Amino acid sequence: MNEIFLTLYVLVWPVVVLGVLWVLGRAFIKEILQARREGRSLI
Amino acid sequence: MAPDGAGLYQLGGWTIIGLLVLFYGGTLLMTLFISKKNENADSYMTAGNNVGFGISAGSMTATWIWASSMYASATSGYTYGISGPIHYGLWGALMILFIYPFGKRIRAVAPKAHTLAEVMHARHGKSSQLMLAGSNIVGSIISITSNFIAGGALITLLSPFSFNQGILFIGGGILLYSLWSGFRASVLTDAAQVFAMLGAVVIVIPVVFFAAGGTDMFVTGAANLTPQQSDFFSSDAFLNQGAPYIAAVLAYAIGNQTIAQRLFAVREDLIKKTFITATVGYGATIIGIGMMGVMALYAGIVPLDGDTNKLIPQMAATYLSPVLLGIFLIMIIGALSSTADSDLSALSSIVMTDVYGQNIAKKGEANPKTMLFIGRITMVLATGIGLYFASKQLDILDLLVFVGALWGALVFPVIASFYWQKVTNRAFTISVLAALVVFLPVRFAWLRFDGTVGIMVDVLSVIGIGVVLGLMAFGFFGLKVAKIVAAVAIVAAAPFSIGFLHNYAVLSGSLVAYAVSTLVCYFMCFRNKATFDFASIARTIGDFDTRSDTADGQIEELTTKKQA
Repeated sequence: MNEIFLTLYVLVWPVVVLGVLWVLGRAFIKEILQARREGRSLI
Repeated sequence: MAPDGAGLYQLGGWTIIGLLVLFYGGTLLMTLFISKKNENADSYMTAGNNVGFGISAGSMTATWIWASSMYASATSGYTYGISGPIHYGLWGALMILFIYPFGKRIRAVAPKAHTLAEVMHARHGKSSQLMLAGSNIVGSIISITSNFIAGGALITLLSPFSFNQGILFIGGGILLYSLWSGFRASVLTDAAQVFAMLGAVVIVIPVVFFAAGGTDMFVTGAANLTPQQSDFFSSDAFLNQGAPYIAAVLAYAIGNQTIAQRLFAVREDLIKKTFITATVGYGATIIGIGMMGVMALYAGIVPLDGDTNKLIPQMAATYLSPVLLGIFLIMIIGALSSTADSDLSALSSIVMTDVYGQNIAKKGEANPKTMLFIGRITMVLATGIGLYFASKQLDILDLLVFVGALWGALVFPVIASFYWQKVTNRAFTISVLAALVVFLPVRFAWLRFDGTVGIMVDVLSVIGIGVVLGLMAFGFFGLKVAKIVAAVAIVAAAPFSIGFLHNYAVLSGSLVAYAVSTLVCYFMCFRNKATFDFASIARTIGDFDTRSDTADGQIEELTTKKQA
């Protein structure tokens, strides 16, 4: 199988994980700030 | 760092202690920020049913990623070649995705529930509740033990410490931060652990790839693969790894209290968003880690002691620098801790709700303080049992075969119970037991399967294929589409399966369990005139602990509980 395809096949997953980290990180920070604004526990 | 006997590099004793203190100390510190002097018993189990998207999606992702799933994905890549990690990680991810439509229904029917078994009690009665709760308990004990074993083995491989010292560090660390605040601590620390885990994955995979030779590895190592291993559409990988796992998609999701707990905890309007994000996060992480197995195959690496479970630590110790090896250690410790703390919370919820709340305490008189005490004692006992099994290095995953079959047998009766008024406790119980009775001889080949018996097993397996795909379609598209999907699947699979499928015992065993429980449950129920008011479940299941607490946890009011 083409080695370029295999290289992309191996390296695409960390990129997707990075995207998930970005989404989760933004949401997590937003929730921390909102909890602080409302003066309540995060959970 | 000093090279060990196998030519791998190890971290020093003090380095390991420093990393573990940093990890578990930081986690404990997080939980101290949210701990209350007087925890609420319901929040101890479901965090107030109002958790936001970031925390719940992070927690669901971290919980479903466990050390064993990382090792198994790499093993699949090493064994089946380039499609191996897909056949492990993709179907494992779909377990999260396919449960959410059912989760929305369960949540609508029982918004204040703590466990799925508790809802079964309200719907049917004790026998179905205890079947589900019992399978949940065994599954969580297996998971805790398996994670302790993975952690102990990793510490043994990468440090001078012994296996038993390793599992004591890990078991003690997890118990320390989970004990006081229960599920609240588990969810919050999961969300933090997922950043450590996923961050490590982003760094470790490319570094190992380039250190192992990069693109050239695929040219020079191509001869190490068989034609099946280098085929992206390998039938070998599909039949031995992919298909049994597709069959397990709904079973593992229904049978796992850690998923149910998050379904009850997340804000109701965020269920879909949370579970789709966790599906992508889990899938990409586990498939990505599985690529280390594929790289090992191309690089011609032979697993230490012939044990493919040592493949990931071996690759890390071969190709990573000392700093990155420390990050790798945190990744695995994060994976096993986030799952083990979720299993501890799941076990404490089951014992608090299904054992004490509904079967020991008098109706309507469960004491919240007693519940909390029981929940904490359960965590201590479960950790002790996990450490005992792990220290004996029992091959406890064999038990998962039985538990997996029980979960498969439970899928149709559990799901049908939330939608179909006619399902009775008797049909539920008998259908599950009948499925187990048929599963055992098929899975362990106790009979000769040539001739008529083999054909009968194959016919049941084909019906099982229809049931699995039909139920998956039902969650998203409703009954009409589900019937069409099931019928098309049966007609399409029959010519390729009958006379052939019984040769794959793992796959046909689980398909037969699905088919028998569905057929028995359906034929026992379709004629009866029973009706059931689903709205009665929400009236039956409520909070155990109606004490309101202030921000610092001081009790304001001591009216105990209202559960009917």
